[in-house]
Formats: sequence, C-alpha cells, structure tokens
Amino acid sequence: MKEIRYERLNETLYSETLPNGLEVLLLPKAGFSKTYAVFSTRYGSADNRFRKADGSEIRLPDGIAHFLEHKMFEEPEGDVFQKFADHGASANAFTSFDRTAYLFSATRDVEDNVETLLDFVQAPYFTDENVEKEKGIIGQEIQMYRDNPDWRVYYGLIEAMYAEDPIRIDIAGTIESIGTIDKETLYLCHETFYHPGNMLLIVVGAVEPERMMERIRANQAGKTFPPYRAPERIYPAEPEPVRERMHVVELPVSLPKCFFGFKEKKPAGDGVALARQEAATRVMLDLLIGPSSDLYQALYDENLISDSFGFDCQMTPRYAYSMIGGDTRDPDLLIERVKDGFGRIAREGFAEADFERMRRKRIGNFLRMFNSPEAIANEYTRHRFRGIDPFGWLDVYESLTLEDVNRRFADHVNWERLAVSIVRTGSRP
Amino acid sequence: MAESPFIRKEIKGIRVHVLPSDRFKTYSISLYVGSPLEEANVTANAVIPFVLRRGSAAYPETRAFRIKLDEMYGASFGFDLYKRGNNQIVQFRLDTVADRYVAEGGSDRLLREALAFLIGTLCRPALEDGRFVAKYVEAEKTTVQKKLEAVINDKIRYAAERCLQEMFPDDPFRLNALGKIEDLAAITPENLYERYRRWLAEAQIDLYVAGDTTPETVFGLVEEAFDAGRGSAQPYRIGNPPAPRVEVKRVEESLDVAQGKLNIGLTLPVLVPDADYPSALVYNGLLGGFPHSKLFVNVREKASLAYYASSRYDGYKGMVMIQSGIETGNRDKALAIIADQLEQVAKGQFSDVEMNQTRAMIVSQLTELSDSAFDMIAFDFNAVLTGRRRTAEELAESVMAVGREDVKRIAGQVRMDTVYFLRNRQGGDER
Repeated sequence: MKEIRYERLNETLYSETLPNGLEVLLLPKAGFSKTYAVFSTRYGSADNRFRKADGSEIRLPDGIAHFLEHKMFEEPEGDVFQKFADHGASANAFTSFDRTAYLFSATRDVEDNVETLLDFVQAPYFTDENVEKEKGIIGQEIQMYRDNPDWRVYYGLIEAMYAEDPIRIDIAGTIESIGTIDKETLYLCHETFYHPGNMLLIVVGAVEPERMMERIRANQAGKTFPPYRAPERIYPAEPEPVRERMHVVELPVSLPKCFFGFKEKKPAGDGVALARQEAATRVMLDLLIGPSSDLYQALYDENLISDSFGFDCQMTPRYAYSMIGGDTRDPDLLIERVKDGFGRIAREGFAEADFERMRRKRIGNFLRMFNSPEAIANEYTRHRFRGIDPFGWLDVYESLTLEDVNRRFADHVNWERLAVSIVRTGSRP
Repeated sequence: MAESPFIRKEIKGIRVHVLPSDRFKTYSISLYVGSPLEEANVTANAVIPFVLRRGSAAYPETRAFRIKLDEMYGASFGFDLYKRGNNQIVQFRLDTVADRYVAEGGSDRLLREALAFLIGTLCRPALEDGRFVAKYVEAEKTTVQKKLEAVINDKIRYAAERCLQEMFPDDPFRLNALGKIEDLAAITPENLYERYRRWLAEAQIDLYVAGDTTPETVFGLVEEAFDAGRGSAQPYRIGNPPAPRVEVKRVEESLDVAQGKLNIGLTLPVLVPDADYPSALVYNGLLGGFPHSKLFVNVREKASLAYYASSRYDGYKGMVMIQSGIETGNRDKALAIIADQLEQVAKGQFSDVEMNQTRAMIVSQLTELSDSAFDMIAFDFNAVLTGRRRTAEELAESVMAVGREDVKRIAGQVRMDTVYFLRNRQGGDER
C-alpha cells in the first residue's frame, strides 16, 4: 500500500493495485463520522461498440449501461438496498458517458458495507422476468426526463454538436431501445466491462486504511477472474464541424431555455495537457461570462439572462466542449450580444488582474471540495478515468498563465464551431 | 447527554452561534432572517434579499460586489428562501477558504473580511436618495417574477406546489416562499426600503459561524460590524398543525406532459417539539423515506409503475406528502397500492427488519450531520426555530427507542387530505 502525503491539502491518500487489477484508493478524513465509497467501472453509455476476443464486433442496444446499473441492485435473495439498510447505509448509482458508479454512504460498519458494495457489483443476477420488470421502471425514468426542460436543452446541445460520437445517444436510451435488452446481453456487458482491471474503488471518510485495505484484499482474493484483457472499444470517427447549428425542442416552459457552446476541434490528449486545457477553459469562461464579468452584468441588465444562467465544460481525451446558457426571453438576441461581447475581448484581451482573481477563485473552489467526501470521491474517479491527476489541480492552476488563457480563447471560441440548443413552448395550444 | 458544540451569545438583538472546529477547510457562515409567513408581506420580504445581493454601501456596484467575493478565494455567497411551517426564512450563506490554507497577512483575515462583507450586505445596502437603488429593485422584481413563473417548468415541483395550494386554500402556507406574482407590480424602491427597515428591526436573526476560529473572535467582529437598531431577540412562533378534512379532496389537472404526477397530501398533527416527533420520523421512514420503504418497494420494485415513489414528513407544519411519477392510465392502480401501504403501516403490518432498517437509516442521517458545517448549522437552527433543544445524538437515541406501537399510534393520526393528479392532455396525438 502506497502512502502519498499532500502537505498543502493536509490530506493523505493510500493506494494499491490488487493482483486482479483493481485500483483501490483510501482517503481518511480525521474527525468525520461518515464514509463515502464509490466503485466505478470505465464503462458508460458511450461504450456501445466493442470487439470480442474472437474478433466479432458487438453493437449494444442504446441505454444498456444504465439498464445494467439498475439491474445490478437485484440479487437472488432480494434487492441490495435492504442489505445496506441493515447497516443504516444508503446506496445509489449513476451512469454517465464514460463510467458507471456504485456508491454508498454510511456512518458505521464501513468495512461490511464496502464488502457488500464489492460483492453486489461483482455478482450479476439477471432473469428474464426481472429484466422485463425493469423496463417499466426505466420507461418511467425516461418519461420523467422527457418532461424536464433542463435535461432536454442540455441534451439538445450535445445532439447538435455531435454527429457520430455515441455521447449523442441519451444515457437511458429510449423506451423502444430498452425493449430489446435481454439478460444475455446484460451478462455480456458485465463480463466485458466489469473486470476488476477496468475498475476503481475509492473510500473517503471515517476509514482506517490498514484494516480496510486488508479486508478489500481478502475479499478480492476470494474471487476468481480470468486474466484482464482490456475491452477493445470501437468509436466512430467524429467529423470536425458541429452536426447542426441549432436544435429546437418544443415543451411547455415559462421562458425559452437556450444553451450554446463550442465543440473542440481536436482533443488535447490526456494527463497534464488535458488538465491544463480544462483549467484554462474554466478560467476563460469565468472571465468571459462569469457572474463578475462585464458581459454577465450587461446581459442581466438587459433582462436577457437570469439567475439560471451558467456555464460548464467537458474536456476528455475523445470529446470536449463548452456549454453556456439558461433561461432567456430572446435566444437570438442573447447569442448576438454574446458575440459582440466576446468580440470585444478578442480585440482587447483579458486583463492580468482579472486573470489573477479568477485563478484564485478556482483554487478556492478546489480547496472547498475537500470538505465533502462525496465530492472528493466523485471528482477523483472522474479525473482519474481521463488520465488526469485528481489532486494535481493546485499545481495546474498555479502554473497557469494569462498567455495560456488568451491562447485558449483564440483556440476555443470559434463561431464556426458554435451550436445552439433551444427549448421553447410549442405552437400547439 | 451530549452537549451542543455551539457557543452562543446575544449581541445587539441577534443570536450569534459559533462552532469552533478545524475539521473543515473553510469558514461556513449562515445568517438566518425569519419572519411570519403573511399574505401582506410575503412578496416584499422575498424581494429584499434579491436587492441586497445587488450591492452594499461598501460595494454599491453589483460587479464590484462580486469581484470582492472572487478575491476572497472565490467565496461562495448565496441565499435561499423557504418556509418552515408558517415562517418565511431567508438564509444567507457565505463559505470562504480558511486562512491556514492560503495564509497571507494574519490568521483570520479572510474570516474578518467575510463577516464584514455579509453583515454589511444585510445592514448597509446600496442606497440612492435615501431608498433602495431603483434599477436594482426593478431588475430583481423581474427576477422574482421569472422564478415564480418557472415553477411550471419542473413538473415534480409544480405538482407538489399545486397539491399544497389545494390542501391549504385559506392558509398562507399555500404560498411560495417567493411570494405572489400579482404583488410585484406595487413594489417600489421607497416602499420596499420601508419594508426592509421593519424586516431588519423585527425579524428573528441568527448568525452562525463554523470553522477554525474562536467564539471571542466572532463575537468581537459582530459587535464591531452589526448595526440595525434592534430590540432583544424574540423566540420564533411555530403554529398549530392543520385540522383534518372530513372528506378527501380530489383535484385533477392536465398539461402537455409525458408522465403523470401523483401527489397526496396527508395531515399528521405531530410537530418537531412534540414528544412524538421521533416516532413520526420512523413512521415516514417505514412508509416512503428510503429505498427499502413500502412505497419504493411496492409501487416501484414490485408493480414496476414508477421510477420514484416516496413520502416526505414536514414536522414544521404537521403533514406528509407522497409523490410519484406514473403513466396517466395507472393512476387508480398506483392509488390503490399507496392506500394499501398506508393501511399496512396503520395495522402494524411491517416486519422487525423494516423497523430496524428504518431506525438505522435515520440514525445514520443524524450521525453524518456532523461532517458538514452547514448541516450542523441547519440542524441547530431548526432547534432554535422550534424552541425544542435536542442534539442530533439525543434525537438518534429517541429514534432508537421508537417501537411498533409508537408507529401505529402515529399512523392512527394520519389523515389523507388531498389527492392531486397532473395528467397528460386527452385525445389528439397523445400516445
């Protein structure tokens, strides 16, 4: 077990890669009562094509990673929520484009709970009957999201940007696509993507590292897995341009919702380069259109944006984009004003003092994250899966220069690569 | 009995509560300003914090106000407005990195700046001609209006609000904490400033600070910065629970939605200060508070009718709200299953396993409060609000002592009040 001390963060991380390939991280938080554990696989909704060992290619039904996530909670003796509840622990899971995460939080019997977590995720139990039953539940989940304008405007932007990459397929799939899912395909996905070599376990909180690691080692040593063979994933080539400039969905809303963003031309690779790109993009967006920018205030004064307005960015080795927006009375005018505002910046550049302030803000945000075991564990996994050092952000932000951010602006803000997504009330009475 | 870790002092008519701790990397500050939820003032009270966040005497321009926050290592500042029973609470929050992690110039420089900033925001707003800045008032009236209009965008929330409106037609509790759209037009910079002066003088104010500091430091800073000409602090008033209805009220509405929303309001005349409060928590936990609860297991897992099916107990008002999202055509099926679950709990048809799991889950929630400064603050404030001091440990002990008969006694007091159903539009091109 390796021990890494982060002096400036006042945190110590323990790590070990087990013989079966599972990567385990433990972060004890002194004085905390709660423990939060996340067991994740590098398998998400976008991993929908792969080659089997025999060379044959498989195209999975849309929504199957998420369906599998739901089904893992079922065991021959009932559903695993009950087992956690016996220890007062609450369990949950989520699926994103590039990972599926199973988690619990508990204030006692932490080692027992970690074993329950490992055991249920490593022991699939599917029957024709329980697979059919789940279709009704997930069908209602899909309908709930259909009615949610925030989700629709967010997803609409991804659909507008990407023509081929499977991130454009809704994580839950459709009622039709999940209808084709059967237990055999679920088992195949589990076998392919849930090998310990493809997974990561992180435990943060009231954890005693030596004892916890020993328990995890023993648990894993008691199970047999074939040697790890990394799944051979297949992704279609994504054309450089956005798929469509504008994507409109009709749904009853009080004001139109408008998200827009820029699709990154080519990925930055991984590791340090990717982290620097993400850091520079975030500082750039703060400077351009964060709550303390001139532009934000001008848009607010013109009643074009409200408190719902915000931004985010996704930077991964395969796809990367920014996303800006919220409710607006006039999407066209909003975009026009943003173009003008960004154009002004393009001529004048960012001011050094503003850059310093935003860098400071990002450092503060990073430190604040360490108050929350949930945030630590989830951010750690997210970044680790993208090849970024999850605890390296202080160095990244401190070495960032104004020049980096100016260059980022020139690279990223390319109006040819802008896509816009709008949700507005339909014409139907 | 465990003692509360907060150290308290009344200063200039506000209650100041300090939690010294070095477990957190930030100073967490919460400022609660609470007043009775009243038809006449609810909207103006709601607009006040929106105007205050636009600028203070020290930072009258909104942009300068926000730049100051960025400079404090991205201090996160915000506020929430909500109801606690028939009280309208404004909670300002400020969270800033503890000095030891970014040390430059003094051991509590950021704490000093943060407290001065927050107190200045509350007590010394930006003014023009002796009243609020007109531009800010107009813009924030629009913002509040947009927020009220946006309730319909989130159908889960919309259905919950509609159910409350139908359940409490004559009680201000039906109101959104943001007030009423129709009141906004009459608000002016002058009358809002008048309202603000009274609000600041008469509301209950509690200031909480948690982090790596001492009570003396905080008390000293508050003495210096706070200035609102207030009398002495008064206790909050928590009302009576609602009277049960004779016949269940049924309301159905249709909108352009894919999924139907079923909300059921029930009265439960047990409030936080009551001795039966821990039993009411266990009752709700058995019924629908968790994924092992009867609603989740039977509506979702067994009948496969819904993605979510849960219940929430409000011990400040004395009610329970059940909610679920279902196919419109499954309304009666879902209602029957829910009614059956209510009856089973009332008849004591639940296992020891269910009891143990429910108590364990609630105790776990109470135990983990201590990991978050803001959660500890919120729990303590609720004790201040209800006038019933229980530490999380004491409440957890009481929950562990709740037995089957206690739950049955609670269930016997629960009355179904209002069934609200939001359905899709009939006919046309509906599937």
